[in-house]
Amino acid sequence: MTTPDLTTQDLLRARRTIQDPVLLEFAAEVGSSDPIVMVGGNTQSHLGGVADPNARSLRAPSGIVKYQPDEMTVCVRAATPVSELHAALSEHGQRTSLPDGTNLQGAVSSTVGGVIAVGRSPVTRLKDGHVRDAVLQLRYVAADGALVTAGGPTVKNVSGFDLCRIMVGSLGTLGCIADVILRTRPINRHERWLKMVDADPKAVLNNAKTAAAILWDGTVVWAQLVGHQADIESDQARLPTSSSALPPKLPPFRWSRRPKDLYQIGSEAGRFVAEIGVGVVHCEQPDPQGGKLSANVEALNRRVRDLFDPHRRFNPGRSVELL
Amino acid sequence: MKISGSKPDAPAVAGVLGLDQTDLYSCVACGLCLPHCPTYRVTGADTHSPRGRIALMQVLDEGKTSLTTEIVEAFDTCIQCRGCETACPGDVPFGALMEASKEVIETTDRQTPWWLKTALRTITYPRLLRFGSSAVALAQRLRLLPPAFRGIPQRMPINRQQLQSSGDDVWLFTGCVMDAWQRNTHFATQQVIEATGISVRLSGDGAPCCGALHTHAGLGRQARKLANRVVSALPGDNPVLVNSAGCGAAMKSYGTLLNTAEARAFSARVLDIHEWLAERLNSLKPSNIAEHRQPPIKKRVAVQDPCHLRHVQGTHGAVREVLQPFVSELVDLDDDGMCCGAGGAFSALQPQLAAEVRNLKIAAINRANADLVVSANPGCAMYLAAGGVDVCHPMELIAQALNDG
Amino acid sequence: MKLRRLTKRNHQNSTNNDPCAADLQATLGDQRVHTDSAARHLASTDASIFTGGAAGIVCYPSTTEQVQAIMAVAIKHDRAVLPRGAGSGLSGGAAPLGNPIVVSTTRMNRVLEVDLEDRLAWVQPGVINLDLSKQTSPFGFHFAPDPSSQQVCTIGGNVANNSGGPHCLAYGVTSSHILALEVVLSSGEIVELGGLDSEPTGYDLRGAFVGSEGMFGITTKIAVRLTPNPESVKTLMLSFDTVTDAAATVSAVIASGLVPAAIEMLDRNCVAAVESFVHAGFPTDAAAVLIIEVDGLSAGVSADATKVAEVAQTHGATVRVAANEDERALWWKGRKSAFGAIARVAPDYYLHDTVVPRSKLVEVLEAVYEIAQRYDLTMLNVFHAGDGNLHPLMAYNSRQAGANERVAAASREILELSLAVGGVLSGEHGIGVEKRDFMTDQFTSADLAQQALLRTAFDPFCRLNPGKVLPAAHSCADIATLSAAHADGVWG
Repeated sequence: MTTPDLTTQDLLRARRTIQDPVLLEFAAEVGSSDPIVMVGGNTQSHLGGVADPNARSLRAPSGIVKYQPDEMTVCVRAATPVSELHAALSEHGQRTSLPDGTNLQGAVSSTVGGVIAVGRSPVTRLKDGHVRDAVLQLRYVAADGALVTAGGPTVKNVSGFDLCRIMVGSLGTLGCIADVILRTRPINRHERWLKMVDADPKAVLNNAKTAAAILWDGTVVWAQLVGHQADIESDQARLPTSSSALPPKLPPFRWSRRPKDLYQIGSEAGRFVAEIGVGVVHCEQPDPQGGKLSANVEALNRRVRDLFDPHRRFNPGRSVELL
Repeated sequence: MKISGSKPDAPAVAGVLGLDQTDLYSCVACGLCLPHCPTYRVTGADTHSPRGRIALMQVLDEGKTSLTTEIVEAFDTCIQCRGCETACPGDVPFGALMEASKEVIETTDRQTPWWLKTALRTITYPRLLRFGSSAVALAQRLRLLPPAFRGIPQRMPINRQQLQSSGDDVWLFTGCVMDAWQRNTHFATQQVIEATGISVRLSGDGAPCCGALHTHAGLGRQARKLANRVVSALPGDNPVLVNSAGCGAAMKSYGTLLNTAEARAFSARVLDIHEWLAERLNSLKPSNIAEHRQPPIKKRVAVQDPCHLRHVQGTHGAVREVLQPFVSELVDLDDDGMCCGAGGAFSALQPQLAAEVRNLKIAAINRANADLVVSANPGCAMYLAAGGVDVCHPMELIAQALNDG
Repeated sequence: MKLRRLTKRNHQNSTNNDPCAADLQATLGDQRVHTDSAARHLASTDASIFTGGAAGIVCYPSTTEQVQAIMAVAIKHDRAVLPRGAGSGLSGGAAPLGNPIVVSTTRMNRVLEVDLEDRLAWVQPGVINLDLSKQTSPFGFHFAPDPSSQQVCTIGGNVANNSGGPHCLAYGVTSSHILALEVVLSSGEIVELGGLDSEPTGYDLRGAFVGSEGMFGITTKIAVRLTPNPESVKTLMLSFDTVTDAAATVSAVIASGLVPAAIEMLDRNCVAAVESFVHAGFPTDAAAVLIIEVDGLSAGVSADATKVAEVAQTHGATVRVAANEDERALWWKGRKSAFGAIARVAPDYYLHDTVVPRSKLVEVLEAVYEIAQRYDLTMLNVFHAGDGNLHPLMAYNSRQAGANERVAAASREILELSLAVGGVLSGEHGIGVEKRDFMTDQFTSADLAQQALLRTAFDPFCRLNPGKVLPAAHSCADIATLSAAHADGVWG
């Protein structure tokens, strides 16, 4: 057997050794002992409980580290605003599946790390999929202060256990996200929002093949159609009479339902906007049925947090069960 | 090692089973055969899968173990349908490996039960078989039949109408059980052949049995003896037509079985009736089929491919071709040609497993929502009929269409 | 040498006197518990070339309760447990270390519920991937992950390995298609991970479980997402005079803003092996062939297919479009049976699985051929080019002296090369035992410690599939002991 040349070995070693001063500095800042509250764009800090006011608050680094349009990946620091990221990607006709608020009112200053920590997908989930599926690699600082790499830089990867998945939607309770590699995708060739009054949302779901989002408030259906113009046109021809419109303003709280249960939403919800085909209902009040877990699953959740953050350093006072 | 399209040289020394080493180790264990194996589908056990059975052949051949009860069971539960061969991207000759293994095991230690051996001997004596069958048929009418005879057709013929040769353009192989139990199929086949203007010479008692069942049971010596008899009983150059897929497959492989020039020449003459007819559809009398605007059989007919037609002979397409002009709606089953469980004597040897395999087939038939099922193998037809399926031979359907039209 | 037969009273090397086997038989019945050498021998390997220990006892449960009962017996006797699907894995993930109880899911093969309104199906883990798609296809839906082994692999196995497949380029890997899981943990508890609602409460334990290679729990029920069948599909076969042109076309297609449903590459050696099996008219004189499929709505599909053809032609491709569904099916059959077709070349193969950045494809492929030549191995390449997922395939004869060593050395070089250019260890086959000891090449000690925590959360007892994925320093199992365990009663 020949000895592999030094270059390969050097590259391998370099890969495993994080030398990025920004990351090292962030890790040092996080340290290994005191309670910390991570601060992002403060757009969703009302969710998942109230953070301990005595904890030290900390901001992750920001900025785009490396954008590779040909690979359709981008490495970005956690505190980078999503809108800033998308502005940079749009120069190459790309974006990510992270919600950036450009289509909808509010949340314009969400950060990449914040969006991932909360793990809520945009209303265009029918087309864009779940936020967690856009995350290829995460680097975070663990409770003991170590810098950890979860996942990998390529679009496909099953090397080891999937730490990325457990970090997305963990509300920052398992580690402090430092930077992340995201999968990018082409910007929609064409897209338009339509409004249909007194339409049957179920029929819209079954007929609108190009729909990225279908919203319903009990009387009006809004749909975003995306793709090739001809396909959008033929879709629109199948739908009830529609007019161009902006999407509705979304109430602040999210209820999680089975898609087919949406049509039975009654007055208990108050004003609502439901994501047809997905199951999210945006409401004015918190979900009365929210946060219920079976005892076994609750124990498993607790075990995860106990193991990753035994001293509850990260975001004390907040918890995924309250999200 | 370089790409050459051929396999590397086989080791010189053969193992305990004496199997061809190149064949035995041509399996890369990818597992693509598993879902196409009827017994694996039923039990989910690796010991009931082609990949597993080959792995067991390997350990036996390498002398790592002597024969165990479970290894024998793994081989005995193989229907030898050879569905795995069709699925195998590596061309592993599973059927040949299994036949050779079974022959060694059979000669090492008797496996075949006495009653099967008796039956296999009986079917080589046509008169005895017909007499015995008539006796069984009589017993059926008198409700005196022991439950062991469940697998046979429910109303066997007591008397048989005599078949008559009409010339000698082609041979029609009449065989053993089929001649005794399902002579109607032979009548229909002869009628269809003659409708094309070709005369038929019947093989008759000189060629009593093709020996396929003997090969499957590992009784190689008897199988070769029967093959020799068939070869010498059907001389000349004319085609030998076979309307039983199992017999046809066996006779097409006489060349390999006997390894003589004469046998190879014989095998080259053997044709399944459907592949023969597919070439002559246009000459089918009395009416030119192209004149048929509406097919005479107004039924939704599902085609059940006998394994030895589809996986061994590869001529199952011809069945559809010849039926198409006569049937208003032909449908395929959605099970990729999975075995029906009959497997020659298999349904008698492994009744429970066979019935479970048949249940899968019946489920596929039900999904096809057909009025009638056709099967080009008498064994499959009998076994499906015993399971309550309305089934007939494609030749019977065509004969009926010709009579009606 | 002659065959010797043993009588029925003398099942060879059986584990009949194992008290654990007796308890299992008492609980599940004899039919569901196999202790004989033949069954154990066959459950001791998967479709890979990796072996370690041996199956101790093989169980065939049909229900969640039976799996739970097996776990209870395992706890009582302190035995390890290894779930097994069809045994079509390629990383030794289902090849036991030590002498675990093997839980085969092949009899848990029922589709429990198909809910077309919510576009999901509840299935047992032993349902074969393609069977589900066949069953839902008449209603216009399919299960999107389509590994090349989809006609044999089970959905439970897909969950364990987070399986990919050609169409994952556009549709995403298994994890994106799993809504909820019912799992029996090593404690014997039953948990339901994820849920059918849009945003299930708590950590994404479902996501953490998918890809856990049988080490977090035994899946007993799976809710999978059903994907609508595309209205229109166009499949192009592009042949090139050089591998470089083919690889450049892949990058150019992606750069043009298209996301095809699949981009697959086959090199000359592979085309030759495949064509002799399927006879689909693969161009055997081309240096490389790309199969590119675009799907979706008709207008978009026509436009995209035209664009792909244009891009390919500027790189010197000869373009063929599948004339009909039969031809398309035949092309895919060829692509998906490529590995088995290798049997035509040599009796053994080692199928590698690494991922590299797309932009490094040409460089890495050239190096891979050079490595093969240096170790005198026949090298075939057939892979998911669209996402840089390489599958270098070495065909060899393990019975030739030194062949195994050459293959091992070559595969190590390919791995190191892939990592050095910024790739990862595995794109879809998983780590198993194959790449366990290479994990330290991709991950730091801190990374692996966090992965180990996740395992501990699910299986603090280290009972499930011990010794896989995590290398010795990070595994709760004593890998040295497992590997040295003497496999009584199974032929080596």
